[in-house]
Amino acid sequence: MSLFDLLRFSLENLRRTKLRTLLTTLGVIIGIGALVSMVSFGAGLQRNVTETFAANDLFTTLRVFPVKMKIEEALSGNLAGAMDGMQQKTRALDDSALALIAAMPEVAIVFPENTFPVRVRFLGRETNTTLRCLPAAMGAYKPYDKMGWGAFFTSDSAHEVILSYYTLGQLHLSLDPAEKDSAETRRTHRHIPVDSLIGAEIEVITSVFDLGQALGLSSNGQAPFSERVTRLRIAGIRPKPHAFSSPQTEGGILAPMVTGKKIPRFVFTSMWNMLSRRNQATEGYDVLYVRLKKLSDLGPVRKRLQALNFSVFALADQFDEIRRGFLMIDMALGAVGAIALIVASLGIINTMVMSILERTREIGVMKAVGASGRQIQSIFFFEAGVIGVLGGCLGVALGWLVSRLANWIANIWMARQGGAGAEIDFFYLPIWLIVGALLFSLLVSLLAGWYPAARASRINPVEALRHD
Amino acid sequence: MAVLIEAIDLYKQYRKGETAVAALAGVTFAVKAGEFISLVGRSGSGKSTLLNIIGGLDSATSGQIKVRGCDLTAMDRESLALHRRNVVGMIFQSFNLIPSRTAVENVELPMVFAGASRAQRRRRAEELLDLMGLALRKHHRPAELSGGEAQRVAIARALANRPAILLADEPTGNLDSRTAVEILDLLLQLNQERRLTILMVTHDEPAAARLSHRMLHMLDGEIVQQQELRRTT
Repeated sequence: MSLFDLLRFSLENLRRTKLRTLLTTLGVIIGIGALVSMVSFGAGLQRNVTETFAANDLFTTLRVFPVKMKIEEALSGNLAGAMDGMQQKTRALDDSALALIAAMPEVAIVFPENTFPVRVRFLGRETNTTLRCLPAAMGAYKPYDKMGWGAFFTSDSAHEVILSYYTLGQLHLSLDPAEKDSAETRRTHRHIPVDSLIGAEIEVITSVFDLGQALGLSSNGQAPFSERVTRLRIAGIRPKPHAFSSPQTEGGILAPMVTGKKIPRFVFTSMWNMLSRRNQATEGYDVLYVRLKKLSDLGPVRKRLQALNFSVFALADQFDEIRRGFLMIDMALGAVGAIALIVASLGIINTMVMSILERTREIGVMKAVGASGRQIQSIFFFEAGVIGVLGGCLGVALGWLVSRLANWIANIWMARQGGAGAEIDFFYLPIWLIVGALLFSLLVSLLAGWYPAARASRINPVEALRHD
Repeated sequence: MAVLIEAIDLYKQYRKGETAVAALAGVTFAVKAGEFISLVGRSGSGKSTLLNIIGGLDSATSGQIKVRGCDLTAMDRESLALHRRNVVGMIFQSFNLIPSRTAVENVELPMVFAGASRAQRRRRAEELLDLMGLALRKHHRPAELSGGEAQRVAIARALANRPAILLADEPTGNLDSRTAVEILDLLLQLNQERRLTILMVTHDEPAAARLSHRMLHMLDGEIVQQQELRRTT
C-alpha cells in the first residue's frame, strides 16, 4: 500500500464522517491554538526583556560597589562587627579605582554613577524620582547615545538635566498631542510641545539635615530637614522606553556628575545607609558600571574585581534569574495549552474508537481480501495523522489570530491606563514555535491514534465479518 | 494432479462460556489443483470454520493445514495476510462488499493491499468486471446493485490477485433461485475454463451434486462422507 493510497483512504474515511471529523479536528485546533498563543506570550515576554537587556549592553555590564556588605552581621545586630569588617576592606570607588579598572584590557568602558532621591517641580507639578549623575562623556555610549529630543550634557559641570519619559508621565505631561488617543489620557495629561520643554528650567528639590532644627534651636515643630532647590535647565529628553524596560534603567532624571555632586543632599534611606555612606559624597562614587568587550570575560573580570575588594554584581546573573522565572511562566502557560491538547487527544481517541466500532465489518472485509494488520493500523494511524496535521495548521493560525487580537486589546488597554511607552508586542511567534506546534500536534494525534489503530489491527476477521 | 490443499487431523475448539465447543474434530482431507469441492452439512457442522481456516482467516487449534505445501498453522499474522491476499480468494453469502466504495473500487481493494499501481489495478478491475458481465455497473455502489450483481462483483474481487483457490461460503444463500443458478454456472465456468480450484460451502445439495467433482459431508466437525461425483478433467 503506497503512502498515497493510505492518504486517499484516510481522507475518504474522514470525509464519510464529516461532522465528527470536523468536531474532533476543532478540538485539536483549539488545543494547539491555546498552546501557541500561551507559549508565544511567554516567548514574547522573554524576548522583550532580552531585547531590553541587549539594547542597553546589560549582559556585559558589571556593577561594582565599594564594599562587601556584611548583611548577615548587620542583621544579627552585630553592627560594630560589620562596620569593622567593612572598614578593613573598604576601597573607595574614586577616580583611582576607576582608572585601575579602565586599565583592564577586557574592559570597554567604566563609568561612575551617583544616585539619590529627589523631588522635581515643573509647571507647578511635583513628583518624586531618582537623580542619577553621570559623566558627560557617557553621551557617546549606550543607552545614552540616543536621545529622544534635545541633547546630552555639554559638560560635567553644566547646569543641565535630562528627563526620562517616565518622569514626564509622572509629571502628567505628554509630548505627543495625539498620543494614545484615549479620553482618559487627554484628561489627565497635559500636552506640552517639545520646543517649550527643552531649555526650560526645572526645580530639583532635595532635603538636607538641618542641624539647627535637630537641636531644637529653631524649633518650629518640624522634622529636622529642610529643602533645597536647585534649578537646572532641561537639556534633553530620553527616548520612549523600550518595551519592558524598567524604571530602574530608563526612569529618573540625569544630571552631569559634577553638577550632581554640588546638589545638597542628605541621603537617608536607612540607618545602614547613613552609617556606611558617611563620607561617600566627597570620597567616591556610589557605583561603577563596568562594560566588557566580550561576554566570556565576565567571569574572570568579576573574580579580579572581587580580589580587589570590590563588591561586584553582574546583571547577567539577574537575567539568569529572570530567565528561570520565565521558564516557570512558560511551563505554566505551556501546561494550560497542554491540557487543552490532552482533551483534544481524548477526542481523537474517542472518534477513532467509535470509527473502528462502526467499521468493524469493513475492517474484516479488508482483512479477508488480504490487508495485513500493519496495513489496517497504518490506515487508522493516517487518519489520526491527518486530523493532527489539519488541526495543527489551523491551530497555529488560530493561535496567531488570538495573539494578535489579545495584543491589540492589551495595547488599547495600556494606552487607556496612560502608559507612555511605545507600543508593545506582547506575543512572539517564532518559526520554532510554529514548527514545534505542528510537530507536537502530529505527535499527539499519532499517540492518540496508537491505541485505536492497534486495536483495529488486532480485530479478528471472522468475528468482524459476522459483525453488523 | 498436484495436491493443493492438505488438512491433517485438524481440530478447532471454541470456548463458549465455560464449555469448549469443537467446531472441527479431526478433519483430514486433500484437494488437488483444479478440483471443485462442495462442503455440505447442517449448520454448525464446521463447514464454514474449515473454509475460514483454509482461507487464513481463522486458525486451527491443532493439526496441520497445508496449502501449496506451506503449513498455515505455522504462519505468523503477516504471512497469513499474504496468504489471504495472494493465494486464496473468498466470496460470502452476504457479499461483504464495502458499501462506500463503487464496484470497481471494491474489486481494486485486494490489489491496493498488494501494492499495485492505480492504473494497473483499475485496468485489471475493469477487465474482471467486464468478464463478469458488469461493464455497465462499474461505478455503482453495492446498494445500487442486485444480489446477483453484487456477488459477481465479489467474485471479481476474489479473483483480483489471481488466486490459486476460490473459497465460496454459501455464495447463493442470499440469492433467488434463478440468480443462484447463474452464479453457480459462473463458478463452474471459472473452474472449467480457468482451472480454478474451488471449495464451496453450500446447503444446496442438488446444485453441489451438479457442479462439483467431490462432495464432502460434514457432521459435528468431522467429514463423515466423501462422495466422488465426476472425474476431474
